[in-house]
Amino acid sequence: MNNNSNKMFFLFILFFSTLISISSNSWFGCWIGLEINLLSFIPLISNSKNLLSVETSLKYFLTQSLASINFLFMILIKFSLLKNFNMNNIISIMMNSSLLMKMGSAPFHFWFPNIVEGLSWMNNFMLMTWQKISPMILLSYYFNKNFLIFMIIMNLIIGSLGGLNQTSLRKLLAFSSINNLGWMIFSIMISENLWLFYFLIYSMMISMMISLFFLMNMYFMNQLFINNMNFFIKLNLLINFLSLGGLPPFMGFMPKWIIINFLLINKFYFLIFIFMMTSLIIIYYYIRIIYSSFMFNYFKMKWVNLLMKNNMSLINLSSFISISSMILSTFIFM
Amino acid sequence: MMMMKFLFMMIFMIPLCFMKNMFWLVQMMLFFMMFLFMNLNLNIMCFFNMSYMFYCDIISFGLILLSIWICSLMIMASESLFKLNFYFNFFLFNVIFLLIMLYLTFSVLNLLLFYFFFEASLIPTLLLIIGWGYQPERIQAGMYLLFYTLFGSLPLLMGIIYIFNDLNTMTIYFLKFFNMNMYLLYISMIFAFLVKMPMYFVHLWLPKAHVEAPVSGSMILAGIMLKLGGYGLLRVMIFLQEVNLKLNYIWIIISLVGGLFISMKCFCQVDMKSLIAYSSVAHMSMVIGGIMVMNYWGFIGSYILMISHGLCSSGMFCLANINYERLHSRSLYINSGMMNFMPSMSLWWFLLLSSNMAAPPSLNLLGEISLINSLVSWSNISMILLMMISFFSAGYSLYLYSYIQHGKYFQGLYSFYVGSSREYLLLFLHWFPLNMMILKVDFISIWF
Repeated sequence: MNNNSNKMFFLFILFFSTLISISSNSWFGCWIGLEINLLSFIPLISNSKNLLSVETSLKYFLTQSLASINFLFMILIKFSLLKNFNMNNIISIMMNSSLLMKMGSAPFHFWFPNIVEGLSWMNNFMLMTWQKISPMILLSYYFNKNFLIFMIIMNLIIGSLGGLNQTSLRKLLAFSSINNLGWMIFSIMISENLWLFYFLIYSMMISMMISLFFLMNMYFMNQLFINNMNFFIKLNLLINFLSLGGLPPFMGFMPKWIIINFLLINKFYFLIFIFMMTSLIIIYYYIRIIYSSFMFNYFKMKWVNLLMKNNMSLINLSSFISISSMILSTFIFM
Repeated sequence: MMMMKFLFMMIFMIPLCFMKNMFWLVQMMLFFMMFLFMNLNLNIMCFFNMSYMFYCDIISFGLILLSIWICSLMIMASESLFKLNFYFNFFLFNVIFLLIMLYLTFSVLNLLLFYFFFEASLIPTLLLIIGWGYQPERIQAGMYLLFYTLFGSLPLLMGIIYIFNDLNTMTIYFLKFFNMNMYLLYISMIFAFLVKMPMYFVHLWLPKAHVEAPVSGSMILAGIMLKLGGYGLLRVMIFLQEVNLKLNYIWIIISLVGGLFISMKCFCQVDMKSLIAYSSVAHMSMVIGGIMVMNYWGFIGSYILMISHGLCSSGMFCLANINYERLHSRSLYINSGMMNFMPSMSLWWFLLLSSNMAAPPSLNLLGEISLINSLVSWSNISMILLMMISFFSAGYSLYLYSYIQHGKYFQGLYSFYVGSSREYLLLFLHWFPLNMMILKVDFISIWF
């Protein structure tokens, strides 16, 4: 359905479902929120005229409903069998696994790049940012620390190594999202406030990039070289990807810095080494994407014209935010 | 207050880069800032000009001076970008941004902010190499530069935050009261600077990056970026002295033997810039040796050699570019017999190469003598290595001079003009501090 009012309706229910899920008093309410989330996201992504879209929404439905059923079952087992608050048991592992599967985190990530490949950019934005909120917060209510640390390591490694062989921009961002999930799961183990900080900055950076790709209608890496990008768009692409990689002096360095601080306070020395090295691999494939902005002259096609004259202010503003937050972050500790 | 005004001067030069026909004005303003900065009151024994987050020490004073000097000479050397209209506005912005990052690296009080600007100075360098370089290999060169440096500096970030959690301070001045006696912390702190210096085993990024960079990129890389490693080592050794005394022999041996191998490898190079890049590694190997020994003479010698090597290598890259702009080749087979065409340039080749081989009265001589003194006082066996490194550095400098200037010229040359006054001024401004500062060395070599 291409009707905008339908989409607005389902979008409203999507937002509301997340709020139900994270603000409920009982686990059953959380499960209800997750189910309504699934129910309202499917109409947003399915488009009956496009076969790929239908297949994608079906795959999404199957995986998410499997995870939800698992979650419901584990909640019921926990209510009936476990009467203590100890989080280091197998039921918490199962509950966390079902929530991780809902988010698309490793080792349950196999559906995620597939589905991201079948969605448009705006749907991807919803999938990568908003859909992670409720499973993350539910994860923080009852998590098994050892299991989650192992999952973090798997997330980081799979997110960094999986993106090395990709040429589709959507799949690249999917693997980078899996990697950032590793950082986010750690931050939510420390404090929800920290997670919110990381998540907001991550969503802001992803939104800038996705809006850039959406406006230029780019889905693959070879399209980066045949466009007539003017200088500010190239600069914006460069700054955003370097910021997402966590390089100083851009904004994306700040959340990573704070998480490294908490990693060292809690003495996770081996884990922090894995965080660092996988982030280097991620920077490698980001730089492969932004080769076109580094090199100033390459063969461009003259017939490709970008209708971007109306949207330049947004792009300039986002570049300005990415650079100027460096200055803000240097004064924040004075 | 005194340090902040230079920062604001540089920040407000940025809008100036984007106006029309302001190329030479930006360069003139940088020279102006250099002369203003030189007149700061220099108090030798302590930190001076302290304000909220800035300070100036004897080491950082000299290195900031060097960075402003080299940045203004970078703009002077890149006139071809302005004439050919090849994104020179963005180039000027890149240079000023890099200068701001370097200035802040040398002048902030906080160790974490030092790291922040240390990393941030990589981004404009990467843009310079990949944006304005000449060959397709520059992509690989940029990758190597970025990833070698990041691989070293991420453990440095871990170390700095560990120090903060342990000592609750990151002010560089207060670190002298502490003694962190941990091996893993030691390695993670100094590895970044050893990669940046570069030490022998992790030096592979340097020949690639220096060769593929344009002249401005080569100048700033050889001039200042290597010295960031030396400066970091000088600052970090304050609280790592005890571990260093147990482990320094590893780094000294690797760097000195590596310097020997690199000096011998210089004789095999065909590319002019590659030869100068490898000679940078050889000089820096002695600097690493001097810092790691931790005598007073070692620190003095390494600091003097850092400043003099910055000027000398940068001047040699300018000379290589002067040849490249005329002949469009950096190969020694093609650039031969230049004395027949450009005899005045031959004078400058000789002056800068004689400084490179540490002939008197250059500042390199004083640096090498101090370093030889300190390393031999540490162990007598290093005499053999130092003797061979100094001998080979004289050898390859003469080799470079002789192959370029003497001999029969390449028959495929057409015509080019001898040397514009801009180029002579550029080389003079490299050579003059290098050879005249030896007349008053006490302001850089007497630290207490």
